[in-house]
Amino acid sequence: MLKKVKDIARTILTEKQGDGVLGLIKGEWDIVQPHIFESPGEVDALVIEPKWLLAKMAMTVLRSSREGYRLAVVVRGCDERALTELVKRNQIEKERLLTIGIACTGEQASACICDRPYPQKLDAGDAVAGVDPFKEDIVKELLAGDGPARMEKWANILKRCIKCYGCRNSCPICVCIPCKLEDAVWVETGIIPAEVLSYHLIRAFHLSDTCVACGACQEACPVNIPLLALQLSMREMLRETYGYEAGLDPERKSPILYDLCKEPAAGQALPDWINSLRKDDES
Amino acid sequence: MSPDFIKTICPYCGVGCGLVLKVEDGKVVSTYPDREHPVSRGTLCIKGWSAHEFVHHPQRLKTPLVKKGDTFEEISWNDAIALAVEKLKAAAERFGGNAVGGLSSAKCTNEENYLFQKMIRMAFKTNNVDHCARLCHAPTAVGMGQTTGSGAMTNSISDLAGAECILIIGSNAAESHPIIMGEIYKAVDRGAAVIVVDPRKTAVAENARIHLRINPGTDIPLLCGMMRHIIDEGLHNEKFIQERMDGFEELKKFLRSWPVERAAKECGIDEGEIRRVAEMYAKAKDSAVVYCMGITQHACGTANVHAVCDLAMLCGQIGKTFSGVYPLRGQNNVQGACDMGALPNVYPGYQSVSDSAVQEKFEKAWGRELSRKPGLTVTEMIGSAGKEIRALYIMAENPALSDPDVNHVLESLNKLDFLIVQDIFLTETAKFAHLVLPAVCFAEKTGTYTNTERRFQLLRKAVEPPGEAKGDFEIICLIANALGLDFPYKHPGEVMEEIASLVPDYGGIRFDRLEKAGLQWPCPDTGHEGTRFLHEGQFTRGRGLFIVPAYTPPFEKPDDEYPYYLNTGRMFAHYHTGTMTRRSPFLNREMAGPYAEMHPEDAMRGGIREGDRIRITSRRGSIVTAARITERVARGSIFAPFHFTEARANILTNPVLDPISKIPEFKVCAAKIEKEPNEKQER
Repeated sequence: MLKKVKDIARTILTEKQGDGVLGLIKGEWDIVQPHIFESPGEVDALVIEPKWLLAKMAMTVLRSSREGYRLAVVVRGCDERALTELVKRNQIEKERLLTIGIACTGEQASACICDRPYPQKLDAGDAVAGVDPFKEDIVKELLAGDGPARMEKWANILKRCIKCYGCRNSCPICVCIPCKLEDAVWVETGIIPAEVLSYHLIRAFHLSDTCVACGACQEACPVNIPLLALQLSMREMLRETYGYEAGLDPERKSPILYDLCKEPAAGQALPDWINSLRKDDES
Repeated sequence: MSPDFIKTICPYCGVGCGLVLKVEDGKVVSTYPDREHPVSRGTLCIKGWSAHEFVHHPQRLKTPLVKKGDTFEEISWNDAIALAVEKLKAAAERFGGNAVGGLSSAKCTNEENYLFQKMIRMAFKTNNVDHCARLCHAPTAVGMGQTTGSGAMTNSISDLAGAECILIIGSNAAESHPIIMGEIYKAVDRGAAVIVVDPRKTAVAENARIHLRINPGTDIPLLCGMMRHIIDEGLHNEKFIQERMDGFEELKKFLRSWPVERAAKECGIDEGEIRRVAEMYAKAKDSAVVYCMGITQHACGTANVHAVCDLAMLCGQIGKTFSGVYPLRGQNNVQGACDMGALPNVYPGYQSVSDSAVQEKFEKAWGRELSRKPGLTVTEMIGSAGKEIRALYIMAENPALSDPDVNHVLESLNKLDFLIVQDIFLTETAKFAHLVLPAVCFAEKTGTYTNTERRFQLLRKAVEPPGEAKGDFEIICLIANALGLDFPYKHPGEVMEEIASLVPDYGGIRFDRLEKAGLQWPCPDTGHEGTRFLHEGQFTRGRGLFIVPAYTPPFEKPDDEYPYYLNTGRMFAHYHTGTMTRRSPFLNREMAGPYAEMHPEDAMRGGIREGDRIRITSRRGSIVTAARITERVARGSIFAPFHFTEARANILTNPVLDPISKIPEFKVCAAKIEKEPNEKQER
């Protein structure tokens, strides 16, 4: 698989389909880090492990590069979905972006509890079956119980938050400027933990229709908050209600923005567990 | 040019997380976490994520500056070096070599610290070299050195995740060492019990199974009560003590005077709680003790460290994985600055200056006569400025904010014949300098830092320095050569080889071996893989030593005039004197100004509301700050972070010293609060 990725990358550079290839490089002493390959000769040192999300880097690279610069990105399924969302949201010009799609291993898919561990445009490797995250014990446990029980459980977990902003910074599609989380009206400054409702749930809801389930937020969390579980249930609700999954169809806009007047009613699009956020549940 | 990505190490705290700097057109434009880093594994705290923000700040020093009257004028490097050398030499010639002092830096690399202490020791035949470890973990270096033979964290950070019981004393790791807090939570997720001892209800305490809110400065009573109960219940590790320890009978005898009842009374907590945590710690398979400034920054700081070590050794919770004693080091390279001998009593590798064999070894290696008399500490050098100390060379330290009783520090700095400050910004201290030398920051240099788990890590240069600024490495070499020494070094790697030849524990450290994940000392030869935990089978000093902890209550207690306990420390968005963090927009947005925490009942009594301006006064001075009303502090206590130049908490702190390690009692003093009129802030 690696050889194939290198061949494609070399071809892209040799035939000038792209000006650079964003991927991982294994340099001297086996150090792996992101790198932009600009000559075919460099490509020998390209590697594809470990999982290292590049979509957000790709966006910033394209933003600051000269006009017309075309960038190819080595993408896993989640990276491809993130790039698709970024294009949809006018953060990346489609014409300047190429992808080299690689499939994740089964092991990686289980580690990420990923249900689509492959890109739609698969260039190298064989797609393995995904994992149903809702059958995983950890997710089941986090989403189990009635409203108040869930509220307590999540409040307990979220009070670990050290407010590093890593979840936001690492999220490939968290791109708003200014960011609501930096608005002192919503999020009190100078204090940890961050407020559960105003920090974590603003973030979670804001991403409800763009989250591509890459798990970058959770991986960047220094205090092991299972942020992916928070996000997955919203993603699932959009799938159930509207048959919509962020990052799959480049043409289809978010139903939260465009389908509000269609059936079913908007209220039903919200996952039932949000009731648990109301401290004094009326029921 | 497309951007470059450079792996390096975070410049803030002693955890030493891995960063990937994104460099565009010669500028560091953003920071990403390093997914492959052995400690941080793709995570960072708010400061790490913002590490690039101060690098290209417009206020960076770009040329050497000389004081002319009340202002600074630019001068050339040649003139600056000549002036520095002239003045240092003049002080030494007129008043003797001991009239010169150097403050090395826990922000600088190992190689720079090594060269700095070598220069001071060789050129002036004095041991007047110290650094800010004096203000944070000097008691650890001394106390753990006495009990175990090594003043460093016994285990690795990742060991915490495997512990069954973690006792955290006087550490707000969630704000000060956030990535280590993550390892502790991993242990919690596996069922471990976390016990927090802290007068403040910190975020760490909020997330603990048990929080013991003891009276300020009563750590020894607590630990003694716990140890007494452990012995009474027969929960101590008899076999371990017999095989590996000395001094048990003395300790046991001493603990007779600390029944749990007395301990509980002194600490202001319930007896049952002491028994419960003692049993939890003693009965767990693997127990760890994590501590920080809450233990060390007391007039009995060294004794506090003795007590912590005693507890671990009493239960045999040391010298194996997932257990041990974890002093969390403050600065990115404070471990390294100590290791490199930037201390007045030891050469690199903690080799005593008063040992004649050691002196001979270094005299032979360096080719100069050296002094056997231990030098002055940070606080002593500043205290004797204008008297014994006439010329002071400060490399990247900011005592005008970081040292206790700041008003007195400023008076002292003014008394010096000559003050050289080498830094990246015109710090509060640099303003007092006669000569300011522009140095470079972490992103502009190559070298090594040693993190809190003894890991040598490689720093990689990402961008060029601003203007004419030079690396500390180069500046030291220029000055040393101008002083008549032979410092021919071209690359820090050469210095590391010299260090390796002089310190057996670092014998195997080479730059090319650090590229991937660094190496944890001891690492005696180039085939050695480094050491994950210390004291396996045998303590570094041979047999471990129980030391009876000599308890002294806080020097100042609240009284009618100063009715509050004042506690100082850090908050999560800023770092120490704020030289870097307060110039980082994102961090400054998070916390733009000073504040002090006070309890709602105290606030109500004083008619103080959230955000009101208050004046805090101690016997040494006063500051005006904003009130933050919270139950995080106990009734009768105030907490003030020390980052803010406009309200320097260290104006208030007590300079009384621990007699052994000479650390000041930053953590406790008496203070009063008055409400200030809410007018526009004065400048």
